Formats: sequence, structure tokens, C-alpha cells
Amino acid sequence: MSAASSTSLLGQLTALLGSEIVRADATALEAYSRDATPLFHGLPEVIVSPRNTEEVAKVVKFAADTKTPIIARGAGSNLCGATVPLSGGIVLSMANMKKILEISKSEALAVVQPGVTNIELDEAAAKDGLRFIPDPGSRNVSTIGGNVATSAGGLRGLKYGTTKNYVLGLEVVLGTGEILRTGGRLVKDVAGYDVTRLLVGSEGTLGVFTEITVALAPRPKTSKYGVAYFNDLAAAANAVDQIILSGIMPATLEFLDNTCIVAVEEFAKLGLDTKAGALLLFGDDGDETSVIPTVERMAEIAKVAPGCRGVTLAADVAAAEQLLYARRCSLPALARLGSLSILEDIAVPRPKMAEVVKRIEEIAQRFNLRIGTFGHAGDGNLHPTIVLDKDNVEEVKKSELALREIFNLAIEYGGTITGEHGVGSAKLPFLEGLIGPGNMELQRSIKNVFDPKGILNPGRLGS
Amino acid sequence: MTKPFTQNKLDRCISCGYCLPACPTYKLTGNEESSPRGRITLMRAVQDGKLPLVDLVRESNFCLGCRACEPVCPAGVEYGVLLEEMRVATWTGKNRPLIVRGLFIAVGTKFIVRLLGLFSPLAKNRKSEGEVHLALGCFERALFPSVSKAVAAIEPNCSISADQGCCGALHAHNGELEKGKEMAVALGESMPGTILSTAGGCAAHLSSALGRDRVKEFSEWWAAKEAVLNPIIKSGKPVRIGFQDSCHLRNGMGVFKEPRAILASLGEYVEVPDASGCCGAAGTYALLQKKNSRKVISQKVSDIADLKLDYLATVNPGCTRQLKTELKRAGVITKVIHVAELIALSQK
Repeated sequence: MSAASSTSLLGQLTALLGSEIVRADATALEAYSRDATPLFHGLPEVIVSPRNTEEVAKVVKFAADTKTPIIARGAGSNLCGATVPLSGGIVLSMANMKKILEISKSEALAVVQPGVTNIELDEAAAKDGLRFIPDPGSRNVSTIGGNVATSAGGLRGLKYGTTKNYVLGLEVVLGTGEILRTGGRLVKDVAGYDVTRLLVGSEGTLGVFTEITVALAPRPKTSKYGVAYFNDLAAAANAVDQIILSGIMPATLEFLDNTCIVAVEEFAKLGLDTKAGALLLFGDDGDETSVIPTVERMAEIAKVAPGCRGVTLAADVAAAEQLLYARRCSLPALARLGSLSILEDIAVPRPKMAEVVKRIEEIAQRFNLRIGTFGHAGDGNLHPTIVLDKDNVEEVKKSELALREIFNLAIEYGGTITGEHGVGSAKLPFLEGLIGPGNMELQRSIKNVFDPKGILNPGRLGS
Repeated sequence: MTKPFTQNKLDRCISCGYCLPACPTYKLTGNEESSPRGRITLMRAVQDGKLPLVDLVRESNFCLGCRACEPVCPAGVEYGVLLEEMRVATWTGKNRPLIVRGLFIAVGTKFIVRLLGLFSPLAKNRKSEGEVHLALGCFERALFPSVSKAVAAIEPNCSISADQGCCGALHAHNGELEKGKEMAVALGESMPGTILSTAGGCAAHLSSALGRDRVKEFSEWWAAKEAVLNPIIKSGKPVRIGFQDSCHLRNGMGVFKEPRAILASLGEYVEVPDASGCCGAAGTYALLQKKNSRKVISQKVSDIADLKLDYLATVNPGCTRQLKTELKRAGVITKVIHVAELIALSQK
């Protein structure tokens, strides 16, 4: 869009909403030109920071009337380029709608505005002995709006599920500017299509959330963790299978490969076994009478699993925190090894995981790339991360080819191209290969119903 | 034109956004450009020639420089260094605030630094056997001379000399990075051995320029002595003491447990909510950005009022001045006092 029309876009929005929540100076536009995804960049034309549902409805209606792209954004911590304004238009920053409206202890639910962060909600719930289950790695910064828009996962997927299992109701502004309420406060409610569930994970393409009702769970009384080392990731994956086959469904089963262990150890100095091919972090939460025997049983299973190099149980909370920290800092520790790191997010059926991690190692060798793999072993969600030099054109090219092979690998094994990060712009080119042309067409039709003018986060899902 | 930023320090940032919730100016505005990640995005744009330097000025001014983003950064971005480079790039010529120019002249001249303390009841000059030299601090000697007097009273084994210059922190944080480092080195040469500082801001700057092992901030140094302290009693009960961290001491030097441990032995220690969050003083910020500085501290003032403390302890003169001013304005009777002064009080 030309500078003149951009100015008038600013002028019109200012007239509509007031100058306090509308801005378009070069500094602000540049800051909103990216999110946490490397390589994606696009300048918006105007930033709007609404304070309430009415303002959201007004700006969306304006966008529909003028056919202006509008991209809702929480903390901008997503890793799939879902909030980069690649086609210009309006960035709708939801960061200032950050009130926790209600926590109902008796119903075990919370009603929040979308800009509340995941950890703020969890801390508020803790005061009533409750917790918010989804715990993405970005929980200190990511917003509930963003968590719902991407159906964010985390470290508790196997035992507890992800965001989609906890959204009860939504207030949403559709692509027409109409305000709609879906679901409510009930655990059981099958009246009509489950529009709430359809909106979860819609990445800002079907509507803008303005109020979110989520289920909370009792806070566990205790938790316990242990660590097991293996010769390679495949051996760790096999041990995970053995644990699940034994009838245990624990809260935590996370693993790192040797590249990650070495990077984490260099960064955090936790005394990890850097010679091991893989580290498996296991643990559970709940009542003391169930947690301790469960974790001890997991330790025994790991000990006798093939390729196991040793098992230790964390003696206290501090030791457990260190183990969790080792897992959580995998990405930043890897990122220190190069100027660019591309984090992927495939998921495969858990029994196939051992084969898949071997194939990823083979891809890394063939392309001569540094790929560190860590992930949620319990739910088959893997994060192969390519670390490279951003100025090395050849390496960047090779990494694109390697990524394509990794996506195909996931599909070949009956898996998915994204387990918890989202499709965004980064994975849209690969979506049709996964879900097929029929499903793609259906998704476009759905998008058209919610957003007939095609203004909501264009170029993402449903495009 | 030479590039304003050290490229590999910019490259460190992976744009994860973990710094956002720690940033006081992001908390105030919810604006990405007023967050550490947003500011680094802007620095990158300037570095790559996509944005003119002038577009950095507003955020360079708005940033408190508290460095609360550093301990929460998983990628180890040295934001404090990048901010200093941003100030070097933006606060030049007519963009350098007048107040800063005036202060530079004041602290850049030893004669004026001495003058600052001339009419204050400073600690007397003395030479001790030990290798510890007390840094007097330009503003502390003018505004709060009782701090150095307290140190002199409780620690007989440190040398004190009024004939010392400025540590250069003011320069480093306000666009004269090289000069700031030179001043630190000069001060280091005039005080061989350990430099003891009662100002978190000065200590952090000195340790970054001279090396961490040359510099001890007062509370970490005192805590290491493991001296037994007696609680201060008021109307039959130990006094209630709160604490405000010095940002650079906590985020730059990692010192925050030590002052709390000392205070816990001096009375009933109460953690002030968000004690680690910036009080808005932030060096010259309270002078240059009065309105924003007051916005940053407003929640803190009401939190402190609610706690009904006898004392609020500090470890940096900027924080002391800011808290004294704002608590007084709000009619809160809690006394703001340096940790060293409280120790001296307990020994009276």
C-alpha cells in the first residue's frame, strides 16, 4: 500500500478509535514486523491496542468494510510465523486486555481476557489450590489468547492433554465484526456443532478472542522426577514404550539427544553425562502415595531397558528443578551454537518414535547439518532443531531441504508436521501434503463462513 | 559509517520474548517497541540501514536501563551493553539531554566532585593497613554523606580518601561509554586492591570495567564477613524492615540474597512485592523522564505503604532519593535508609 493510503488508514482508525490506541510511527511498525519465528518479516501499516470487546469489534468491522488485513497478536512468542503481518494491514495487539475476570473455585474454571499470560493465570489459580494445565515452554510470556489460538501444548500432554482439552467457552469477534459467544462454563454441552473446539487452534483466521473461559485442575500435592541416560535416542524411546506398556501414564517423559545434552551442559553446568547419547527425564505428580511408587517403577523399567547407562532419582525439589531446567533450556542452549536456529515440531505415533529419531540423525549426517533433537517423548512430539550460520547461504538452503525431508518423514510414519506450535506461515506450504486437497477445500469453506471478506490473518489457515 | 552495535551481541537474541514480562516499560504500555525484544528489533533495523538512527531516540530515552531482562534471558543477551551502545549512538550532539551534559561536566572534573562533598559531613580521610578502599560516589557524597560515615564507623579497616574521581557509570549509561570506561580504569589505578562501593550502580559499572574480583558492593562484602548483628528494637519489638533491590546490583552483579540476609538479622524482614523491579530512579531517568519515572514507582509506593514498615533499606543512592521523594509525597512515614546505616544504627 502507498504511503498516502497508509496515512489515511491511520487517519480513519484514529477517527474511529481515538489516538490513544492507534499508532503508526516507523518505530512501532518495525517492532511489530516480526514474532519469535526466524526469517519471517513484514511491516504492518497500523497498530491498534484495544482495551475492550467493543473496540475489537469496531476495528474488525472497519477492516471488513475496507478489506484491510488484520492480524491479532498476543505476546508474539509463536514459532510458526503466525503473527507476522506479511500482507501489511492492521496488527491488533491484545496485550492490554489482560484482566483475570473470574476464578471460580467450586466450578474449577477461570474467565480471562486474552492478554493474560499463561503463568499469571496459573499463579492466580494457585491461590485457590488449582492450576492451569497447559504449560508451553513460553508460559512466562505467552498469552492465553495465543495459547488458545495455537492450541498450545507443553510438558504435560501425555497425562493431561493440551489447551484444546481445557477451553470451555469463548467470546469471539468474527470477521464481520459480529460478537459471538460459544460454549460456556460447562464440562458437558453438546448443543450444536462444537464451534468452541473449532476456534481453538484457528490461529486468528476465524475470529479474535475477547474473553476465554478455561477449566482448571486441582494442584497436585507432590511431584517427583528422575533421569536416565541411554546410548542413543532410539534406546530412550524404547524405554518410554516399556514404561507406557507397563500401564503407567506419567506427567513427564522428556528426552534430549547428545547434541542437546552437550549444549545444555556447556550453558547451564548441571553435571549432566555428556557422553550419553540420550537423556530421558521422567516424573509424575499427584498424591505422595501414588507418585513415589510410580516414579520408582519407571526408574526400574529404565534401568533394565537395553542401552541404558544409568538412572538417578532427584533427591529433592532443587534437584528436580535442575532437571526440568535442563529440558526447558534446550532451545536457547542450542541457539547459542549458531546465529540461526530453526526449531521444528513434528509428532509421530509413539511406537514409531525410535525409528523416526534414527532417520532424523541420518538426515543430519547426509546434509552435514547440526541437528539437535529434544522433545516430549511421552506424546511422540519431537523438536528437531537445526543450528546454522544465517549468513551461510548454502547451509540455509540445505536446511530447507532437510526440513522438507523431516516433514515427509513425519507424514510417512502417520504423524503430523506440527504437534503444538501451529501452522502459521512457516508450515502452510506443507499442510495440503498432510491433510489432502479435500480437507484443504473444507478448511477454506469454513474460513469463508467465519470471515467472508478474508481479512483475518490472511495467508494462514484457510487460505 | 561504522555500525553502532556489536553484531554478535545483536545476533544472540532469538526473539523468544521471554524478556517482555520482566520489562517495566512493557508492563506500563504493552507496546512491543518498548520491550527489550522490540528495542533489539529496532537496533537491528538501524544496524542494517532499514531505519534511520533518529527512530531509536524515543526508545533509547524511554528505557530505564534496569537490565531486568538479562537474568530472564535464556539466550544470554547482554542487553545492558546494547543499551549503552544505543545511548552512544543516539545521545550525541543536540540529542544529548541538557541535564546529562551538565552532570558530565560536574563529575568529569575531580575538583567539582570534591566540591560536591565539601559541605557534606563526609567520612574523614584515613589510611588503613588493609587493601580495601571505599569509593565515595559522586551523588552519594553530596546527597547522603551519612552512608560513608556509617561504613567508616562499622568497618575500621578500610581506607577513605576524598581525593577520588567519578567511577564513570554516569558517562557509560548516558552515551559516553568509552569515557566511562576510562574513568573507571583511572579510579581503579588510584585505589589498588579491593574497591568497596555502597552504590549498586557504581559497583556494577566498576566491576564490568575492572573485573568482578576487584570490586565488592557493600552488602556482599559485609555478608561474607558473617558478623553477628543484633536486631534493632523499637517499643519492645524488632523493627519491620523492607528492601528495594538496586537493579544493576541484582541484574548486573547477581547480588540480591546478601542484603536480605543482613536485614533479616537486623529486624523482622518483610519482602516488598516486586522488590526486584525498578523503582524508576534508574540513574538520570528520574530527572529526564519525570512522568514515566513516577508511573514506574506508583504501585511500589502503595505496596510499601500497606506494609507499614519502619525502614525501607536500599543499596544505591538513586533508589534512596527516588523512594524518599515519592514516599514523602504520598505521606508514608517509612524511613528510607542504606543497609550500612542500618547496621551502624544497630551497633549504637
